[in-house]
Amino acid sequence: MKKKLLALFMSLAVVVSFVGCGGGSGSGSAAESSAVGSAANGGSTGGESADNGSADGGNTVVIAMEGEGLETFDPGYVYEKYAHVVMNACYENLFKFYGNEGTAQPCLADTYEFSEDSLTLTVTLKDGITFASGNPMTSADVAFSINRCKNLKGNPSIMTDTIDSIETPDEKTVVFHLTEPDSAILSKLTYNALAILDSEVAKENGATDAEDASSADTARNYLDGTSAGSGMYVLTKYTPNEEIVLEKNANYWGENASNVDRYVIQLQGDANSQMMTLSTGDIDVALNLTDDTVSELEGNDSVAVLNDPTKTVAFVMMNMDESIGGQVSDPKVQQAIRKALDYKGTQEIVGSGTVTPYSLIQDGFMGSKGTRDVNYTNIEEAKQLLADAGYPDGFDIDLTVTDLAFEGTPLTDLAQKVKDDLALIGINCNIVTQSWAAGYGDAYRDGTLGFTVMYWGVDYADPNVQLEFLPGNSVGLRAGWQADMDPDIAALSKACMEATDDADRTAVLEQIQDATYEYGPFIMIAQAPAHFGYNTRLTGVAVSDPYTLDVTMINIA
Amino acid sequence: MHALKKLFRSNYLFTLGVIICLAWIIAAILAPVIAPYDPIVQDLGVRLKAPSGEHWFGTDNFGRDIFSRVIYGGRYSLLAGVVTVILSGIIGTFYGAVAGYVGGQVDNVMMRFSEMILSFPSLVLAMIINAVLGSNLFNTLFALVIVSWPTYARLMRSVVLSVKENEYVTASIALGAPKMRVLIKEIIPNSINSVLIMATTDIGNKILMFSTLSFLGLGSAPPTPEWGMMVSDGADYFNKFWIAGFPGLAIFTMAVGANFIGDGLRDLLDPKLRKEF
Repeated sequence: MKKKLLALFMSLAVVVSFVGCGGGSGSGSAAESSAVGSAANGGSTGGESADNGSADGGNTVVIAMEGEGLETFDPGYVYEKYAHVVMNACYENLFKFYGNEGTAQPCLADTYEFSEDSLTLTVTLKDGITFASGNPMTSADVAFSINRCKNLKGNPSIMTDTIDSIETPDEKTVVFHLTEPDSAILSKLTYNALAILDSEVAKENGATDAEDASSADTARNYLDGTSAGSGMYVLTKYTPNEEIVLEKNANYWGENASNVDRYVIQLQGDANSQMMTLSTGDIDVALNLTDDTVSELEGNDSVAVLNDPTKTVAFVMMNMDESIGGQVSDPKVQQAIRKALDYKGTQEIVGSGTVTPYSLIQDGFMGSKGTRDVNYTNIEEAKQLLADAGYPDGFDIDLTVTDLAFEGTPLTDLAQKVKDDLALIGINCNIVTQSWAAGYGDAYRDGTLGFTVMYWGVDYADPNVQLEFLPGNSVGLRAGWQADMDPDIAALSKACMEATDDADRTAVLEQIQDATYEYGPFIMIAQAPAHFGYNTRLTGVAVSDPYTLDVTMINIA
Repeated sequence: MHALKKLFRSNYLFTLGVIICLAWIIAAILAPVIAPYDPIVQDLGVRLKAPSGEHWFGTDNFGRDIFSRVIYGGRYSLLAGVVTVILSGIIGTFYGAVAGYVGGQVDNVMMRFSEMILSFPSLVLAMIINAVLGSNLFNTLFALVIVSWPTYARLMRSVVLSVKENEYVTASIALGAPKMRVLIKEIIPNSINSVLIMATTDIGNKILMFSTLSFLGLGSAPPTPEWGMMVSDGADYFNKFWIAGFPGLAIFTMAVGANFIGDGLRDLLDPKLRKEF
C-alpha cells in the first residue's frame, strides 16, 4: 500500500513538474498553482476550489479522506468510520449529536418521553419534514427504516438489540417498546444505520423491512450509489477508491445551515499527500493528517489545524485469571504497573492532542470525570507495591501485541513504551508480536491473553459502550474479569443501563470511574487525537466523534 | 590463492565489496565498543532529532540513537542475510547438482519435491514452520533456509544439465573417475557461478524477508534493533529522512558490497574469464 501511494505520489510529482514547466514560466505562481490543482483532481474541481469558489456561484468544498474499507452507503448496513461523513450529510435521524460533548438532541423528533418503567419510548415527529424526493416523512418511514436495519442483520443491527417492537399509532407518533431499560437508546437512535429512509423510494428499489429482509432485500446496490434520505445533501456520485460527490438537497425541509453547494470527497488517505495538497490549496479539508505532517503545516497562514481527542482509547490489559495472567493477575501488581506507566511520555508518542482518560470512561463523554493527572506516575510507590506483592526484584513476563495501529500509532510502539516504563520497576517485558489474523484476534476475543496493549474504538457515541469493560461483560471477560469477582462493580453496569435520567446516569458513571481508577485489569493509557487540517476560508470544521466530520456545519466565509 | 591476490589487485570493486562487508561484520561484533548509546533505552527528551554531533544519525520516535541501533542491528540482519543465504546456497547447490547429474527418475522425484516447497507462498510456509517448531531466532533462520533453498536447486540443476554434456566431463568418466569425483571436481566448479551471483544478490532480499517475519512476531521482536524493522518504522516519518534512511543505507551498502564480491568471485571462477589474470 505504501509503495503504491509512493508511486502515485511520484508520478503526480512528475506530472506537476512538467505542467509547471510548460505553463508556469511566463505567468508566475498563480498559473502554476492552478496547474497543480488540475493535476491533483483530475481536472474536475481543483480550479474551482482554488479560486475561493465564489465567482461562479457554486460553492465547492473538497475534502480528502481515507477511502479504504468503505463498503456501503446503505443505512441498513453502514458501519465504517468514514462512511458516516457521507451518511450524516445525506440522511437524518430522530436524534443527533450537535457537537462533541453532551447528549443526543432531537433532530427529526420534536418531543420524546420515557414511560415510568423505562420500557417504552414515545417520539413525536416534527411537522413538515420531506425527503429529498419530495415525499413527506411519516412515522411509517421511521418504523420501516429501523425494522429494516434490525432485520437485515448486518453489522449495525446490534444497535436495535434492545428494541422489541415499533408501533405507529398515527402519522406523527412512533412508540418504541424495549426489551429492557436502555439509557443509551437515544444515542443509538443517532447512529447512521438508524437513519430514516424514504420508504417509498427504497421499496421501489427492492427494500423491505420484513423478517426475511436479510435475504429478500435488494436495495443495497441502489443505495450505494445514491441516497434516499431527508438530509441537507444528496449523494450523486460514488467511485470506489476515487471520489464521492454530494450535491445540496434542493428540497431540504429545514433551514439550510451551510452555504456549501457541493462537496467533493477525494478518497486519498495518505497523510503526506493530504498535507501537500492542503498546503497548495487544492483540497480544503484533510481528515487523515498525522502528528508529523501537522507539524509541517505550521506557519502556513491559509491552513488551520485541529488536534482534538477522539473517543478511541489505548489500554493495557492484565488478565485477572491467575492461570493466564500469572503475576499481573495480582491487583497489587496491577496497581504497581498503573503507578509505573509514564502517561506523559505516552501522550508524546501518540502525538499532540492526546489525553489520558481518568479511568474507563473517555474524556468528553457524558458523565466523564475528565482526564487522569499526568503526574500520577510514581516509581517509588510502584516499587513498594511490587515488593508488597512479593516481587521485590521484579519478574519477567511476555507482553503480547498485534500488528494494528491506534489512530496512526502502531501498537508495537505503545508496547515498547510500556516495556521501557516497567523496566524502571524491575518488570522485564518480553514483547511478543502476533498478527491479528494468525492468532491474536482469537486469543484476544477468547480472553486467553495474559498481558497486552490494545485499543478500542466506540461503536456509537454514548458512555454506555464503555460498560463492556466491566466484570462479566464482553471486554471485561477478555481480561478474565468475571462478574462474581467484583459483584459491586458488575452491578453498576445494570444500574447504568436502567438510568434513563441523565443526572442519575452521570452519578452511576462516576461511581464506575471511581471504582476503576486504581483497580481492575484495564489501564487506559491514551485517548487518541484526530488531526484535521482545513483551509481558513472555511468555518465550522470540527472533529466529530459520531460523524468524523459534520459537513452540515461547514460554511465558506 | 594467487588468483585471489590478483583479483584484489586488479578488481577494485571486489576489494571495495570485501571492505564494506568486513566493516559491517566487524562493527556488528564490536557493537558494544563502537556504539555511543544503548540501542534499547528510550529518552523521550530527544525524540525525532535530526543528525547532529551528539547523535550522528539522529534519533527515532523514542529518542533512541539511530547510529547505535544501526551498529547493533547488523548483528541480527547480517546473521539473517548471510547465514540463510550460505546455508540455503549449499543445500540447494548439492541438491540441484545431484538431481541434474543423475537425471532420470531420481531427477524427476527430487525436482518435484523442491517444486512442492516452492509452490507454497514462502512467507506463509515460514510462518507455518515457526508455528510448528516454536518462534525464536534459530527457527526463523531455519524457516528462511527451508523456503529459499529450492530456488538455488532449480538454478543449479539447469546449469548442470548443460555442463554435464561437456567433453571434459565425458573424458573424466571415460578415464574411470567415480561419479562423486566427477560431480565435485568437474561439474560443481563449472556450474557454481550463477548460484554465487544469485546468492550475493539474495542477501539484501533475505534481510528484508527476515524483517517482515520479525514484524509478524517470528524472529526478533521490538525493541530489538533490526535494519528492516527500523526502515518500516521510519516509513511513517516522511519528512524525517534519517529514521528510515540510515538503516536503509546499511541494507543498501551491505547488499551492494555482497554484489561486488559476487561479481569478483564470478570473474575468478569463470574459466572463460580466468585467463585474464
